[in-house]
Amino acid sequence: MTLALRFAGRELRAGVRGFRVFLACVALGVTAIAAAGSTAEAFRQGLAAQSREILGGDLAVTLQGRAFTGAEQAAFRRLGRTTDTYRVRAMAQAPSGARRLVEVRGVDGAYPLAGTVTVKGAAGLQGAFAGAGAAVEQVLLDRLGLKIGDPLLIGDARFVVRAVLDQEPDRLAGGFALGPRVLIDHAQMERAGLAASDSLFTQTVRIALPIGADASAVGQSLQKVFPSAGFRVRDRNDAAAGLRRLIDQLEYFLGFIGLAALLAGGLGVNGAVSSYLESRKPSIAVLKALGAEGPLIRDMFLIRIAGLSALGVALGLAAGAATPFVLGWLFRDSITIPALFAVYPAPLAKAAVFGALAAAAFSLLPLARARATPPSSLFRRDLVGRLHPGPEAVFAVLAGLGLATVSVVTAPNTGVAAGMIAAVAFAYGLLWSLGQGATALAARMRRFTRGAVRMGLANLAGPASAARTVSPSIGLGVALLAVVLLLQSTLLAEVREAAPNTAPALILTQVRSGQAAALDQAVAQVVGPLDPSRYRRMPMATGRITGIAGAAVRPAAVAPEGRWAFDQDIGLTVLDAAPADADVVEGRWWPAGYAGPPLVMLDQRIAEAAKLNPGDAVTLSILGREVEARISGLRRTEPGRFGTGFSLVVSPSALAGADLGQVALIKADKAQAAALGRVLAARFPTVTVIDVRDQLEAAGKLLDQLSTGIRGAAAVVALAGLLVLAGAAAATAERRTRDVAILKVLGATRGQALVASVVEYGAVGLIAAATGVLLGSAAAYPVVRYAFHFDWRFDWSVITVLLPLTATLTAAGGALAALPALLQRPAPVLRGD
Amino acid sequence: MTETACVLALDHVALTLPSTAGPVEILRGVSLSVAPGEQVAILGPSGSGKSSLISVAAGLERPTAGTVRLFGQDLAALDEDGRARLRRGRAALVFQAFHLLPNMTAEENVAAPLEIAGRADAAAVARAWLARVGLGHRGGHYPHQLSGGEQQRTALARALAVRPGLLFADEPTGNLDDANAAEVTRLMFDLLAETGAALVMVTHDAGLAARADRRLTMQGGRLEAA
Repeated sequence: MTLALRFAGRELRAGVRGFRVFLACVALGVTAIAAAGSTAEAFRQGLAAQSREILGGDLAVTLQGRAFTGAEQAAFRRLGRTTDTYRVRAMAQAPSGARRLVEVRGVDGAYPLAGTVTVKGAAGLQGAFAGAGAAVEQVLLDRLGLKIGDPLLIGDARFVVRAVLDQEPDRLAGGFALGPRVLIDHAQMERAGLAASDSLFTQTVRIALPIGADASAVGQSLQKVFPSAGFRVRDRNDAAAGLRRLIDQLEYFLGFIGLAALLAGGLGVNGAVSSYLESRKPSIAVLKALGAEGPLIRDMFLIRIAGLSALGVALGLAAGAATPFVLGWLFRDSITIPALFAVYPAPLAKAAVFGALAAAAFSLLPLARARATPPSSLFRRDLVGRLHPGPEAVFAVLAGLGLATVSVVTAPNTGVAAGMIAAVAFAYGLLWSLGQGATALAARMRRFTRGAVRMGLANLAGPASAARTVSPSIGLGVALLAVVLLLQSTLLAEVREAAPNTAPALILTQVRSGQAAALDQAVAQVVGPLDPSRYRRMPMATGRITGIAGAAVRPAAVAPEGRWAFDQDIGLTVLDAAPADADVVEGRWWPAGYAGPPLVMLDQRIAEAAKLNPGDAVTLSILGREVEARISGLRRTEPGRFGTGFSLVVSPSALAGADLGQVALIKADKAQAAALGRVLAARFPTVTVIDVRDQLEAAGKLLDQLSTGIRGAAAVVALAGLLVLAGAAAATAERRTRDVAILKVLGATRGQALVASVVEYGAVGLIAAATGVLLGSAAAYPVVRYAFHFDWRFDWSVITVLLPLTATLTAAGGALAALPALLQRPAPVLRGD
Repeated sequence: MTETACVLALDHVALTLPSTAGPVEILRGVSLSVAPGEQVAILGPSGSGKSSLISVAAGLERPTAGTVRLFGQDLAALDEDGRARLRRGRAALVFQAFHLLPNMTAEENVAAPLEIAGRADAAAVARAWLARVGLGHRGGHYPHQLSGGEQQRTALARALAVRPGLLFADEPTGNLDDANAAEVTRLMFDLLAETGAALVMVTHDAGLAARADRRLTMQGGRLEAA
C-alpha cells in the first residue's frame, strides 16, 4: 500500500484536470443533501429550544365544544401556574361595513406563561385590553381599512382596536389559521358570548410546571385522572408536532432530490473516471511492463479517486453547511419558524455517507477495468482486458445497496422511501436501456440519411456515443421536473378550476339552531329557491372516537394516514335518511326515522386505518358526552366538496336533545356571495362566514410559492444531467477534434460538422426528455389519484415546454462541445497524431 | 543449449487476433532461443509481426499457440500478475515511443521498476543511472520537458537500472534523429556489455542490427535467418 500511496501521490500532480465534472457531480448531490439536512436541523433545534414558548407552557390541555369543569380547572391549578385561553372563529366588522373572518383568542391576565407578546400602540397586552380593547394583526387593519382607536364588531360585540399584534410566542402551536388573529381579554370574550356552548370554540389551559417536573409523565397522569374528559394533552416535547413532521417530510423530499442528483451525476462520475483511466492506459501498461501487478495499479488509482471523492464531498459539505446561513439571511424577514443556524454534524455526516457511497458505486467498476488493462495495450491501445468479477464489482454493488438502505432507513416513511428508490432505479435502468437502443437505432437509420445528419447518427451509434451516458442523467432530471410540474398543475387546476365548481362558495358556521329558519329564508331571498344541489344546512359538532369495543383508542396503533381522526376532535354531523351523496361502500345507512341505539357512518379510509368494520362498537366523545355507538356502514367522502363530506355521521338518536350549532354550505356566484355577506352582516352578525374563494386564492398563492422552491430543487437534478453532458463532451473532446480535422481534410465544412454534433446531442436530448416526461407522468398519476384523490388531468404544456427545452439545451451543449474542434486547424491536430 | 539454459525460448509460437474482417494471423510458428548475454536483432518490414513478437516474448500478451519460456519458466503457467512478477527485475523493455510515465520526473521514472521490486535504494540507484546516461542534471524534469533523445536515454536507464538478464528493445531509435539515434545506440550497447544482459531488439535499421551477435528477419509472421 505504501508503494501505491507513493505512486498515487505522483498521479496527483496531474491536478484535478479531467475531474472537474466528477467533483461537480459529487459536490452537487452532497450539497443538496447537506443543505436539506442542515436547514431542517436548524429549524428542529430552533423549535426544540423554544418548545416551552411555542406551547405557551409545559403542558397544554385543549378541549373543544365545552368548557373545563371546576374539578378539571382545580386539578390543573394544583400542578402549577395556569393560563386559560379561548379560541374561536368569528366575523370582524369595521364601521364601514367591511367584514373579515378572524381567529379570536381570549386570554387571561396570566398569559403568556412563557415568552412575551409584542404589541404596538399600547403599553403591553393589558394596556391593549383596556376599555374593551383588542390587539389585532396589521393585515386585518389593512383589509378592513382600520386604524388604532377605531371600533370593531366581533360577532355582535363591540371592541376598540387598541394595538397592533406583532408576535405571540405560542402562535406556531395554534396550527392553521383561516383569518388574521385578534387578541382580547378572556372576560370580554365570555361577555360577548363568543365562548357560548353552541359556538365552535376551543379552550386551552396551559400549565407551567415546577422546575424539574417531567411534563410528559404529568400529562399522562392527567389523562388517567380524567379518562373520559375527551381533552387533548400536549407537553412541550411535542409542541408544533405537525410542523416538525412537515419539516421531516420536506427534509426527506429535498434530500431525495439530492440523492437523485447524485444518481444522475453518477454517470458523470463514472464517465470522468473511465475517461481519465482511458487516458492513463499507456502509463498503466508501462507500469505492468515494468512488473507492477493489477492490485497495485488499482490501489494507486483508487487512492487518487478516493482523494478526489473526499474533496468533492468536502466541497459539498461546505456548501451545504453554508446554505442555511445564506437562506436565513436572504429570508430573514419572512421566516416565522424559530431556527438555530449552526453547523450540525449529523446531517453533514449523513450527506458525506451518501456522497462517498455514490462515488464508490459509480467509480469502482472503471477501476476494475484499469486493473485488468493488458500490458500489450502498449502495442494495441484498443485492447481491453478480460474482466472477471472481482472485489471492485462486489464493493460497487455493496455501495449501491448501502446507498438505497441508508436512504430508506433514514426516511420518515420507509415504505414510501423504498418505493421512491425502486422507481428511480427502474427509471435509471429504463433510460440506460433506451440509450443503448438509441445507439442501435442510429446505426440502422444512418444508411437512409446523408451528409451531416449521417455523420451525427454515426457519432450517436459510435463507441463514444453520448446516448449511453447523457440520456439516463438528463432523463432522470426531466422525469423529476415533470413530476413536480404535473403535480403543481393538477393542484393548481384543482384549486383554481375544479374546486370553485365542486366546493361551496360560502360556508356558514356558528349558526344557532334558533336562527336556522330565518337563515334559510334570507339565503333564499338572495340565491333563489333553496335547491339541495346549491344549499345544504345540517347540524355540526366536534368530537372524536375515544374507544373501540370498550377499550381506549391508542392513536399510535392506528395507521399514520388515519391517525389524525383519533388524536384530535374532528367535525361531525347528525343526519337522518341517507343523503344523495352518501356513497356507502360497506354496510348500510340507517333507515329514515330511525330511533334505535346510536349508529355511526364512518369514512372508509379512517376505518381502514383503525381496522374498523360495520358492526364494530365504538365510543364517541361529543360535547362532553360519552356515546356508545355501533358502526352501521363505511362511506367514501370527499372533503372540500359540496355535500355531506363529514368523516363521521351519527344517527339522530346519538345526540337526542342536544342543541347543536348548524353549518350551511352555499353555492353562489361572486355577486350573490357579496350580497349574502351584506345580509348576514346585518341580520346574523354572529354567524361566521368562510369565503371559500378567498381561501382557495390564498391556497393557490401558497402553492405557487411552494412549487417555485420545489421546482428549483428538482432543477438540481437537471443540472446534474447537464454536468454529465458537459463531462461526456469533455471526455470525447480529443476524439472529436481529430474526427473534425479528418472530416475537414475530406472536404467537410464547419457547418456540416456543427450540424452533425447538433443532430447527435439533440437526438439524445429528445429521447431523454420524452422518456423523462413519460416516467414523470407515470410517477405523478398515482400520487394525484390515490394520495390527493383528485381527477387526473394531463397538462400538455409540460410536454410543449420540457421536450423542446431539453432537446434545445442538449443540442446547444453539443454545439458548444463541437466549437473548440471546429476552431482548430486540421494540420496541427493531425501532426499531433 | 537446453531450453532451461536459455534466457528466452519460443517454440512454434503463433498469435492470431480477431478483427471485424476475420481473424488475422500475426505470428506463425515462430521458434527462437536466446542465450544469456546474447544479442539478437530482428529485422523486417512494417506489419510483419516484429512488435508482436516482443509483446509475446516479454509476456505482455499470451500466444494463441506454442510455448514461451522466459528464464526457464513457461509463461502459460502464469497469470498476468505472475508474469509481471517474473519480469520484475529480470526482464526490461525499451519502446520506440519511450513510454515514460508523464506524471513522474525522469528520476522517478528510472526508480519506478526498482520501487516495484521493493528496492530501498531505488532513488540513489536511479540518480546514478541517470548520470550514466548523461542526464544527472535532468532528474527533476518531467518527460514533456525532455527532448526525444533525452526521453529515450531515460527509458534506457529505467530498463537497465534493475540490471535485467534480458532487454527487449522495440525500435529503440525509431523516433530519434541520426545524432540522437547514434548516441542511444552507443549507450545501449556499452551498458549491455557492462551488465551482461541479453538483447532481443526489433528494428528497421540495418546499421543498428549489424551491432548484434545474431540477425533474423521477420516476414509475414515467420522468422527466418537474415
